[in-house]
This record gives sequence, C-alpha cells and structure tokens, in this order.
Amino acid sequence: MTSAKPTGKKKHSNEKKDVDLKKEIEQLKQELKENKELLLRSIADFQNYQKRIEKELKLKEYEIKQKYLSEIIDLNELLKKAYNDKDPKGALKLMIDNIQKFFEKEQVKCIDCIGKKFDHNLHHAVTTLEKDNCEDEIIVEEVKKGYTIDNKLLRPSQVIVAKKKEK
Amino acid sequence: MGKIIGIDLGTTNSEVAVMEAGKPTVIKSAEGQPFFPSVVAFTKDGEMLVGEAAKRQAVTNPEGTIHRIKRKMGRGEMVKLREKSYSPEQISAFILQKIKKDAEDYIGEKINDAVITVPAYFNDDQRQATKDAGKIAGLNVKRIINEPTAASLAYGLDKEGDHKIAVYDFGGGTFDITLMEVGEGVFEVLSTNGDTQLGGSDMDKALVDFFAKEFEKKNDIDLRDDPKALQRLYEAAENAKIELSSTLQTDINLPYLTVLDKEPKHLELKLTRAKLEEIISPFVEKTEQPCKQALKDAKLKPSDIDHIVLVGGTTRIPLVRKKVEEIFGKPPKRDVDPMECVAVGAAIQGGVLSGDIDKDIVLLDVTPLTLSIETLGGVSTALIDRNTTVPTKKSKIFSTAADNQTSVEINVLQGERPMATDNKSLGRFHLDGILPAPRGIPQIEVTFDIDADGILNVGAKDLGTGKQQSIRITGSTKLSDEEITKMKKEAETHEEEDKKRKEKVEIRNNGDAMVHTTQKTLEELKDKFTKEDKESLEKGLKELREALSGDDTKKIKNKTDELSKVLQKASAQIYQQAAQSYQQQQQKTSEADSKKQEESWSGKPSGDDKTIDADFKVKDDKKKAGKKD
Repeated sequence: MTSAKPTGKKKHSNEKKDVDLKKEIEQLKQELKENKELLLRSIADFQNYQKRIEKELKLKEYEIKQKYLSEIIDLNELLKKAYNDKDPKGALKLMIDNIQKFFEKEQVKCIDCIGKKFDHNLHHAVTTLEKDNCEDEIIVEEVKKGYTIDNKLLRPSQVIVAKKKEK
Repeated sequence: MGKIIGIDLGTTNSEVAVMEAGKPTVIKSAEGQPFFPSVVAFTKDGEMLVGEAAKRQAVTNPEGTIHRIKRKMGRGEMVKLREKSYSPEQISAFILQKIKKDAEDYIGEKINDAVITVPAYFNDDQRQATKDAGKIAGLNVKRIINEPTAASLAYGLDKEGDHKIAVYDFGGGTFDITLMEVGEGVFEVLSTNGDTQLGGSDMDKALVDFFAKEFEKKNDIDLRDDPKALQRLYEAAENAKIELSSTLQTDINLPYLTVLDKEPKHLELKLTRAKLEEIISPFVEKTEQPCKQALKDAKLKPSDIDHIVLVGGTTRIPLVRKKVEEIFGKPPKRDVDPMECVAVGAAIQGGVLSGDIDKDIVLLDVTPLTLSIETLGGVSTALIDRNTTVPTKKSKIFSTAADNQTSVEINVLQGERPMATDNKSLGRFHLDGILPAPRGIPQIEVTFDIDADGILNVGAKDLGTGKQQSIRITGSTKLSDEEITKMKKEAETHEEEDKKRKEKVEIRNNGDAMVHTTQKTLEELKDKFTKEDKESLEKGLKELREALSGDDTKKIKNKTDELSKVLQKASAQIYQQAAQSYQQQQQKTSEADSKKQEESWSGKPSGDDKTIDADFKVKDDKKKAGKKD
C-alpha cells in the first residue's frame, strides 16, 4: 500500500511527462513544417526574382541599344548627305564636333599614348619595333585608338612599342 | 558549407562558374569578360600580372610572360621568368588565385573549395599537379574531373541512363575527341584522341592570308608586312567568321587600310559562307581522322554513339557542326554555350558536392501555364505568370463592373490565351454580400497561393465587409507534357486573332466605362456645365450608346474618343472656373497658409490611388457580361 502511492505518483508524473513531450513534439513538428514552408517560399521567391531580373536586364539592354542606335542612325543620315555633297568638309567637321560633344557628355575620353611609356592598364601591345635611339617600352605607333569611360577602361589602345636594339 | 566553384583551367583561356539557387552562373572577370586569359607575367619592376593585363603586355615583355602553362603541367619542368624559376604548378596557381579573387568579389563571400577540370588524357602526375596548383592558390580542390565529363554534366547526360557520348572539343588552339560511356551517373572514358596543333586560330590565319592575297592582286603590296594593317585583318577575319555562322554573306570593308603612293587604300570584298567554308575546310577535315581513330580504339561504330556534345568556340561554325553530323551520323546537342559548358559542368559537380543540388528542396516546380481569372468582357487577367517558381502567392485588387452589384464570380483559368473561353477553367466560386455601391468602388482582393505540392488556393475577400470565399484546386502544376505543348501551341497559332479579339473587348470596355463616367459627371455637375456643353455631352453619350449596341468596333472606338474629348473640354472649363475662384481665395490667405498648401500637393497620395487601381481592373459580373457580348 505504502509503495503504491509513490508508484502512482511516478506513473502520474510520467504520464504528465509524456503529455508534455508529445506536446513539445507536436509543437516542434509544427515549427518544422512552418520553417520548411518559409524556406521553400524564400527559395521560390528568389528564383522568381532571378527570372524578373533576367527580364529586366533584357529590357535594359533594349533601352541602352535604343539610346545609342538612335545616335548612330542620325549620324548615318548625315553621312549620307555628306557623301552626296561636293564639298563635305565643313559638314564633316560639324559632325565630328557633335560626336566629340556626345562623348564628352558620356564621359568617354580618348587615351593619349604616342610617346608615352607602355601601360598594360590602358594599352594592348600588338607588336614591338626595334629602334636605336629610343627608350625602351615607349609607344611609337597607335594601331587603334583606345578609350576610357568614367575613368574606367572602355577599350585599350592597340599600340606598337619600341624596343632598344640589342648591341 | 560554402560555395564550391567550378573551374575550367584551359590552355589559352580559363572559365569559372558557380551554382546559384540551383542554376549555374558563369562568373565574369574583374575586366568584365566571361573568361580569364591563362597568361601570367612579371614586369621589369617585378609586378605580377595575370589574365587580361598579362595578355595585353605579352608582346612587349616576352621574357617575362608565360602562356600555355597547362602543357607543362606534371612534367617536372621549371619555367624561368626574369631570372627566377617557377614550377608549372606555381604559375597555374597564380591564374587560379586571380579566378578565386574575382569569383569572391562576384559572389560576395569567401571561397575555399573548387572543382577543377582537366583533359581526359591527363595522367596521374598531371592531375596531381593540377590539384597542387589549387592548393598553392588557397583552394581546397574537392575533385578533379575530366573536361568531357563536365561538358556532359552541363547537358544533364548523367541522368539519362546507360549510353555512350562523344565529346568533340574544338577550341582556339587544340582539338580533342573523347568517347565515354555513362551508367548510373558514372562516366568512363573509352578512348581519346586529338591534335594539339589544330584550332580556330589556324582558320583565322588562313582567312587573313586570303584577304591579303586579294588585296595584293589589286595593289601589288603584301599587307602582312604592315603590323597596323595585319592587326585589322585579324579583327576582320574573326568578325567574318562569327558573322558567317549566322548569315550567308558578309562585306569586309576596311577603309584607310594602308597608304600607297600617298593615296589611301581600302579593302572592300564580299565573303560568302561558301568561300569561307572552302578556306577553313582543310582544318575541319583534319578532325575526322582522330574521331575515326577514337571510335576504332573504343571498338565502336558511329551508330553506337547516343549523344554528341560540342565544346569550344570553333564548334559554333556551321561547317564544323555539319562535319560532326557526317562523322557520327546524328546531329550534336547544342543548347549549352560550347565556350561555357565545361565550367558549367564543373560548377554542377561542385553543387552536388556541397549539397546545393540533389536535395528535393531546390527541385521546385514551376507553373507550366499562366493562371488567371476572368474579368470584364471575358478577358483573362493573369495573376501568376507561366514559369513562376512555386510555392508562391500573388494578390490583386479588383472591383465590380456594375452599380449596386452585390456578387462577383471568380472563374479560375489556366492557359496562355487572352480570352477566358479559350483557356481551361480550373474552378469557379461566388463571393456574395458585397454592399451595394457604384461600380469600381468595392475593393475585392483576389489571392492565388500555390504551395510546394502544386495545390492552388484561390481566395477572394471584400475589403469593405471582410467577407471571404475560397476554393482549393489540386494539380495546377501537374500537367502532362503533351497538354502543355498543346496549349502553348494553340496560343501561338491564335496569337493574331486573339490579340484582335482582346482589343475588341478592351475597346468595348473602354466605351462602356466612358458612358458610365459621362453619365456620372453629368449628374454630379449638372449645374456647372454650360448649356452647349451639356447638349453636346448628351449627344455624344447617345451616339456612343448606339454604337455599343452594335458590333462595329471601329465605330465604338471613334465615338468613345469623341465623347472623351468633349468631356475633357467641358471639364477643363469647370476646372478653370474653379481655379480662378481658388486663386482669388488664395490671394486672401496668408503666406504661411500657402506653404501648407504646397506641402499637401507634394505629399504622398493616400488611399485615393488604391481606388483608381481598382477602377480599371474590373471584375466581371457574369449576368452583365452575357448581356453585352
């Protein structure tokens, strides 16, 4: 009899523990379910975001094309007129000035290179030229003009670099 | 675990890719290109350059620049650069370091692990050397995989059961053919062959020779002696090669190419694809023998090959693809960029190793078709676009189409067609108990929520009363492929007529709305309009109503526009009057007050714009639509 009491008590507390644990399991299960749902939704959101960005990039590309192609179209029309002009020099000068202004507005700058020391940050060496009376690595010819945009490289100048003749 | 990048450590160029949300992305270099030249240099001042910068200065600094280090890997040979010796592993490590750094800048986190690819014919020493190079660069090389295996992974060929693959790799400087067998995701190399001295650059040179000879015929001067002209010829050759991969003829126009007897000379010639193919054909033919040898070594017939995978930029040339088809008797796969597929495959392998892939979690479904509801005039208004990854939830606010409408019907549709009747109806329900109000005033929020299992819950809630209704639709993402293709095809074939039909409905809807607005304005402001304005408004209203009772869309549009103009003109007058009286009032008020006024002008619009939103997305009232149609 005397031992029955504590056993009952123990049983009771065990039962209580079971109920508590079951409750906790249910709660954790619920939490897990919610978290999984949240995670899945975040991943789906991200994937949809990627798709949207892709679409927007294409649109942006189109906008940029529109802007620059319309400038080239204008230029083409004027060039055609100049071609039919007997003395197009004056007009060509104006056109070049306009392009120059457009470049200035867009922060496009020509890279100076003749007589400068070769710099791999700005120049691309096409070939070298052996010379007697010349400092090494000095640019002697420009094959193609290079440009910067906003002080970042747009394209490097293609250059020919002097090499001191070996004695 | 952090990201594992996939690196295609190439002879002339290297590429790197990484998995992002289950999709491979090719990473650009800091110089903005999707590849890294495999070039390392030390300048006179002892500065180390890697990639694009090293390539730019290569010809002025030949003694300090090293190319094609891959060919020396694992051979125990040292290379000397400016009095200092380096092992090929060290040089490769410099390239890998640059790749690692640029990739870290791109991803925005530190990278420790990589998968690196090597040619199938690399021996153990060469593979170990590649691994060591990674270690020196601070990368934990999780795995070394064969380039052809990586290319096949990019095409998902590991998932297609047992079959045999030929990987035809034609790059700028080398040609490789690898035959492989794949079963249960394991790749086994059956044979390899190739030509280390054959590539796209040979084709460029042949083209330049052709241009120079054509020019020489007319001008009696060899342009190849002029470095300036030669450079432009190489550029033109490469552009022509790319151009003629998609067109049949191109013009080579190089003005002011050189000066002869003080007279500027231009190069002008037409190049057809046929001529180009004649010029490059000897190089393409040269790839046949290695392929035949590889088949022989593997004891296979061309017909035993199930898939052909193309790698390298030169495989973009149609003649090359034709040759491949001729050799193996079936067309090659071509939906992954041949320049990127090795790095992409390495990234996929990296993704598998890091657990980014092959867990159910990222294999999320997409909605195969657009999900929409039917709105005024039988139009399908999309809530969730086709190809949206699920689970996802989207809401839109709609309103009523008629005054005092107390019930709306939500008809849930699936399909790409603009008109509701052409799409599949997944289910429909009513939301009742909307308080009687003028059309466009009640706000009904419709929500589409698809969970990860593709179960769609559609809910409609009257934001005014809080009343709601919903429906549960299973299997909205689970359509058979045939069904999807059929529905997409239908949408394509009917695109034109669908557009017209939708336009017709829109014009009708606009006309309808115009009648409503005019009526309402006339009622509200009847005392403010002049007699003439009132008369012309009533006349316009009558005419538009007549047009709407008929079926002439053009007439409806014209009458709508006319009435709109009349209404605008009439309203403008009222506003002018109002503005005048407002100004008079303003003059009387103090300056402090006028400042306050300004603030309210620039202030955020409050609830008002919501109502506007609701006004043009009008939910159909079935009964009414039936009458109108």
